[in-house]
Amino acid sequence: MATQALTTTVPRRGRALAGTGGRTAALFLVPFFAVFAIAMIAPVIYSLVLSFHSQQKSGLGFGEAKTVFVGLENYVQVFQSETFVEGIARLGLYCLIYIPCMVGGAVVFALLLDASVAKARKLFQLLVFLPHAVPGVIAALIWAYLYTPGISPLVQALQGGGIQINFLDAHMVLPSIVNIGVWEWTGYNVIILFTALQAVPREILEAARVDGAGEIRAAISIKFPLILPALSVIMLFTIIGTLQLFTEPSIISKATASVTSTWVPNLWAYDAAFIRHNLNQAAAASVIIAGLAAILSLAVTRLSSRMNKS
Amino acid sequence: MKRRHLFAGVAGLAASTLLLAACGNGPTPAAAPTPTEDPSGSITFWSSLAGMDKVAEAFNASQDKIKVSFETIPNGANGGYAKLSTAITAGNGPDVATIEYPQLPQFVSNSQVVPLDGLINKAETVDKLTDETKALVQFGDKTYALPYDAAPMLMWYRKDMLAKAGVEVPKTWDEFEEAGKKLKAAAPNSYLASFNPNEVAASAGLAWQAGAKWFGTEGDSWKVGVNDEATQKVASYWQKLIDEKIVKVTQAYSDEWSLDLANSTVVGVLGANWSATGIQKRTEASGQKGQWIAAELPTWGNESGAFYGGSSFNVTKSSKNPAAAAKFVEFLTTNQEAIKARGNTGSAFLAFPGLTPVAQKAYDASYFGNDIYEVFNKAYGTITPGWQWGPNWDITNTALKDAYGKLTTGGTIHDAVDTAQDATVGGLKQAGLSVKE
Repeated sequence: MATQALTTTVPRRGRALAGTGGRTAALFLVPFFAVFAIAMIAPVIYSLVLSFHSQQKSGLGFGEAKTVFVGLENYVQVFQSETFVEGIARLGLYCLIYIPCMVGGAVVFALLLDASVAKARKLFQLLVFLPHAVPGVIAALIWAYLYTPGISPLVQALQGGGIQINFLDAHMVLPSIVNIGVWEWTGYNVIILFTALQAVPREILEAARVDGAGEIRAAISIKFPLILPALSVIMLFTIIGTLQLFTEPSIISKATASVTSTWVPNLWAYDAAFIRHNLNQAAAASVIIAGLAAILSLAVTRLSSRMNKS
Repeated sequence: MKRRHLFAGVAGLAASTLLLAACGNGPTPAAAPTPTEDPSGSITFWSSLAGMDKVAEAFNASQDKIKVSFETIPNGANGGYAKLSTAITAGNGPDVATIEYPQLPQFVSNSQVVPLDGLINKAETVDKLTDETKALVQFGDKTYALPYDAAPMLMWYRKDMLAKAGVEVPKTWDEFEEAGKKLKAAAPNSYLASFNPNEVAASAGLAWQAGAKWFGTEGDSWKVGVNDEATQKVASYWQKLIDEKIVKVTQAYSDEWSLDLANSTVVGVLGANWSATGIQKRTEASGQKGQWIAAELPTWGNESGAFYGGSSFNVTKSSKNPAAAAKFVEFLTTNQEAIKARGNTGSAFLAFPGLTPVAQKAYDASYFGNDIYEVFNKAYGTITPGWQWGPNWDITNTALKDAYGKLTTGGTIHDAVDTAQDATVGGLKQAGLSVKE
């Protein structure tokens, strides 16, 4: 997305304006802010407005609907919806499994890569990153195939080994979807962490070695603390990304009834908007999800800046 | 999942769903539907039905006043209605749309389709239909669509497997259960049919056949009975079939479902006339030619049946040329040329009298082991009267589909219909509609 690169210029604006090239900088920034206002700010404001209104019909509902201001009623309805609350809980559980697996895996892989010999490094880097090059939808389709009993060579092989497992039943489907996420995103984060590891000053590592630290000790006591800032960035991205979980469950739901159409909050919002035709409720749900993302992001940033200081 | 910068990410979250929602504002005033004797101009036509591109071509070739441009859209299960509904509300929908009967009332209720009265020649179209099909497209005293197909619900069986079990084609649901048990004895790994959580319209059809009325009107109120007495009877019966492993719970059209048919794990399909192509496609390579037969639904004693699926053609509110659109809708639903143009694209059974023989002639039914059209005709004559679809079918559809998700972990069909009843009543009330339970 173009905005991704551009948003990073936001904090710099103040400084640039104060300098001599302020006017020129402002000129260059106008296109960005114009698009940003139309594509981001306006929809956010519009969705806030929507979320406080409701389309009310009467009687049999075959007449024109009236738009009325209902205050917080949509929010109340969303929070009263059992399926939405279940979705939030499910997402929480997903995070509890996904984040340690994915981030832990990425740290271990990155440290291993950093410690490996230069030749193998390039190859492993590529292999680890490769799954991320597969688009999310395709990955979910491939995994849906691998999970489906009777078709999947994986299930068949496990059966051959005496293990009966249905990846798509109501109990296993959450870990199965976590697995898709881990498979997709670990490699991406390994690259970020690995880059951070490359920036660790070599003299510190040499000093550690002189002091008698082995590879493992150096990894735990020197390298890991030095990549903590990168790790907190990863945590931030991961939490925001996880809250937007949508693609994988929506694809898997075609293969099993265990994934409902309101399985996670984002699916709930989609269902509200485009299946049940209640845009106002969908707006309220989206605002709630955005609010959650904001709170969690703030918590992660606070926590990591405190960790970095100490 | 996407990763973005924090700010963009949070803003984007709210924006992504609602950017589309933003299009929903400002109802576009539809052009006043004035009937024109001889309309002309360009119109657009959206459908997910096979062969409609050829039908549009045939229409264009048959006259030079109206030019139809056709666009294929995904079917309902894959987001077709989301696309259609959003586009109409945003004012850039097609002139002519394809909407299945269960979904039609909600498009009417959202004022997304226009009444055809005054645009069509009623004597030559609507008046020639049966009462059962008319009931699917008329609300209040207005006609909102012309029906295309009238899809009688059927059972499809493997006759070789029925023979193996030593049973005749089941005539009643008791016989169906008995046949399932005998099949289990003869072929322990086989199921007589599958129960499809993602095909809620099939559940509705089964309930309809048993005399259930999920939706009805009483004065100015809706009456919702998704868990009415007849439905409870059907629910208990199918729960028993699931518990006895006579039917297998699988998502229709999934890979698993396809494989089950191909390797004889499931030897029957609860479907309709349109199931033929799907069955043939999935089982042809397994040498099952000549083994599949169509049969009327087993009954509860009296002659009864239901529609399962079927589509109507409509003129949308975003049409700038409703007169031309209506002309094309007439062609689509009543003209033999339209049916001929489809060619061999499926075993259609059409609502308008005199069209089905044309479709039958074009369709190559040699894959099947009996005269399937004869069965269609019989089943069409037994539709249980009095069924009506509700004002927001997708609330019920989603609720029931999702509740069926618990079938594999101890949930029952009973629980599911109760959940769907509550969700439907709650959802309609939230929209301000008047509802009686």
